[in-house]
Amino acid sequence: MNHKTRPQFATVRGVPVVVETCHALPLVNLTLARTTGAVIDPVGQEGLTRLLSRLTRRTAGGRPLQTIEETLDRLGGSMGADVSYSAASMSGTVIARSLVPFVELFADALGKPSLDVTEFERLKRETSAEIIEGQDNDRALAHRALRRAIYPDHPYGRTATGTLQSVARIDHASLVAQDRVVRRRNSLLLGMSGSIELGEAIDVAERLLDAVPEGAAPVDASGDPCVPVGRKLVIVDKPERSQTQILVGLAGTKPDDPDHSALHVAMTVFGGTFSSRLMQAVRVERGWSYGAYASLPIDRFRQAMTIWTFPSKQDAPACARLTLELLERLIAEGITAKELGFAKNSLIRSHAFSIDTAAKRMSLALDAALLGLPVDFYERYEERIASVTLEQANLALQARLDPGRLVIAVVGNARELRERLLESVPGITGVDVVPFDSGEL
Amino acid sequence: MSPTPSSSGTPNRVTKLLDKLPPELRPRYLGSTPFGPSLEVKRFLYPNGLEVLCCEDPSAPVLAYHTWFRVGSRHERPGKTGLSHLFEHLMFGETKNLRAGEYDQRLEEAGAETNASTWLDFTQYSVNAPAKALPLVIRLEAERLRNLLLTESQVSTEKDVVANERRYRVDDDIEGATSELLWATAFEKHSYHWPTIGWMSDILGFTPEDCEAFYRTYYAPNNATVVVVGDFSLPALLKRIGEHYGTLSPAQLPVEDITPELPQSEERRVEVTKPTPTEKLALGYRGPALGDFDHIAASVLAEVLAGGRPSRLVKRLVHDLELATDVRMFLGPFRDPGLIEISATARDGHRAEALETIINEELLRVQKEPVTVDELARALARLELGLLAGLETVEGKASTIGFYETVLGRPAAAFERLESMHKMTASDLMRAARRFLRPETRTAIVVRRGAEPEGVAP
Repeated sequence: MNHKTRPQFATVRGVPVVVETCHALPLVNLTLARTTGAVIDPVGQEGLTRLLSRLTRRTAGGRPLQTIEETLDRLGGSMGADVSYSAASMSGTVIARSLVPFVELFADALGKPSLDVTEFERLKRETSAEIIEGQDNDRALAHRALRRAIYPDHPYGRTATGTLQSVARIDHASLVAQDRVVRRRNSLLLGMSGSIELGEAIDVAERLLDAVPEGAAPVDASGDPCVPVGRKLVIVDKPERSQTQILVGLAGTKPDDPDHSALHVAMTVFGGTFSSRLMQAVRVERGWSYGAYASLPIDRFRQAMTIWTFPSKQDAPACARLTLELLERLIAEGITAKELGFAKNSLIRSHAFSIDTAAKRMSLALDAALLGLPVDFYERYEERIASVTLEQANLALQARLDPGRLVIAVVGNARELRERLLESVPGITGVDVVPFDSGEL
Repeated sequence: MSPTPSSSGTPNRVTKLLDKLPPELRPRYLGSTPFGPSLEVKRFLYPNGLEVLCCEDPSAPVLAYHTWFRVGSRHERPGKTGLSHLFEHLMFGETKNLRAGEYDQRLEEAGAETNASTWLDFTQYSVNAPAKALPLVIRLEAERLRNLLLTESQVSTEKDVVANERRYRVDDDIEGATSELLWATAFEKHSYHWPTIGWMSDILGFTPEDCEAFYRTYYAPNNATVVVVGDFSLPALLKRIGEHYGTLSPAQLPVEDITPELPQSEERRVEVTKPTPTEKLALGYRGPALGDFDHIAASVLAEVLAGGRPSRLVKRLVHDLELATDVRMFLGPFRDPGLIEISATARDGHRAEALETIINEELLRVQKEPVTVDELARALARLELGLLAGLETVEGKASTIGFYETVLGRPAAAFERLESMHKMTASDLMRAARRFLRPETRTAIVVRRGAEPEGVAP
């Protein structure tokens, strides 16, 4: 067995196509992604791109939604629309025997969505109901509060789903206008994986792209966001919490920053594994939180690096303080050679699980293209990690992470937590309290 | 499993290598069974009772090494609930030959991912690793089965961690809290009454002695099945497992002390108040055990009723009437009869009773009228897609094999069930509906909006 399989590339009607063939299961995955995501939503109409993507899928070829869903079920297929800050995608999986009719449906969604106004109104009502329902999810509330506070002047600080107010403001005409602007062939990327050969994939691509108008969608020019100076505390006030959700956010890196890999390795030492400093100190030594993680997400521009713990309300102030002390020590003292070796080995060897299926390999190739990275970006992942030196890792920590510029978002009872957090965590320069059901998040 | 020994018995290459092992460390080949269109599961039994299921899949240089113990929260007793789950946490601790944290450190440095889960009928440990790490994985897994140390400080810290996990998954989570209440209300005698994570007071009360006794009772080779899927050499695998596990002694397993649940003859209903923006409804009907013939019919029926947007309940409640944000139906895959759960979230401004009225209408309808041919076909295609999509990774395959082996004793039962599903008719579904969806066997939990009074224990 040749383990070194790699995606094949083609161009169909000017659209890059990534194909990863594997016949182990009779399934085919399709993903069509666009390089414009939620960052282009107009201020005050957050959620527009997501509504458009979902409506496109729901009105394929002018069919009623129930007909689309019944057809998908009958074929043994699934289709979903997803929107991130920098991309919007429609993806699906189908049992290989049903590929042809599945592609017809997919093509009609891409090329001939009716964007029916009745379905639009129904979708808006559903979206609003989902936003209200999201108030049950404490972790999601913490994330939204963190984003809003850490990037107040950048699209990354807004929500891709929208708020109750912003979704209410979106009208059908705005959505149709947005469709004309973004549904353009030259901004698309197509990926296919599973039980499909290159030749067949090219035929599928021809069919999928047939009715998509030519031209390019707007380019995301929002640039890198900036984290405000100071340590800001945001409490999402929710009653009856026996536990808190605590997120600490700082400015991160983007994948083509020269020190991104070095910071990635250093953050793995800090909070990327069960053996990490954060997990050992918070969970293993003190039993304060079931989990304790740090993550360095990537996007076209610099996303926030986040640290997540969820201690009981009694332990929350001490846990927040400890998290920041560990972070300050990390920046000041750096990581050790032994820690560096451990993190590099862990990252390099576990990369096997990022590429162990055709769908994952296709997805990585597509991600690289969406973010404007070299086509072999993920193929060279192990090489980049291997080349990180101790000096580079510690320099990256000092250059990128500023413990004086961060946001702490906490979900819990503000009355019980506010003063205790202010006493425990030094250097807080501002406090904001947001009711969990205010509709602002 | 229905073993199908090959004509030559044990594969030759395996026999030659295993012959070099002392008889007490040498496994017996019990046969193989197909696992989907292109793979097969081979079964081996070691003299100490350890079973090993092997599925060679060299499509990527990775493997899944899962250990399934036939012990879960069903084996616990009142006052000691949650012990299986707490113990699962402790298995990642110090051993005679590994200092605290070393187990995770060694595996993480090798590129492996580790995890574990406990449920009603089993406890499962998974290590998904690069193929090269197999010798290390076997050594460490055998080490913690043989030499785990259970100190006061380890047990104490881990109790705090589990208490925090409980707050996260149950106490501060509407869905978790509702589900726990539903099962606790529906089951009065059977051990399915208590949650796998355990009651908080029980979690905080465990001692190292409780844990030690549990370890010695249940963590024995004759109470475990190792499932290995991926890129490995079968002879080398079996030889190593023999060397590392072969000298472990089997345990005298206790007789299972399970009290069957009495039939339910009238509806049970509980109303609670939570800090949530919308009302919720959770219904539980007494359902079949996984091995019951009608479990398959009930699974297809659940798909017809609440599998995707065109399903009857979702279409009416979410799409047509816009009363609910979502509706889900779940049929427990357990050794003993569990619940058929239906949960629904009302939209803002609507009451749980409005959802319940529609649900009742639809449940009555499937008992009176047969489902259509098209509904049946759609449900089957959805189930087939779900099964196949879950088998893309070695982890997915190992989980599927281990689960069905542990609960039903048939590692390829997922495919057997799929085959049986395709034979289901509208009559089968109507029979299942009439058998299980009876109002007198229903337990209902209604969640109202608002804050609970402070100081009131759940």
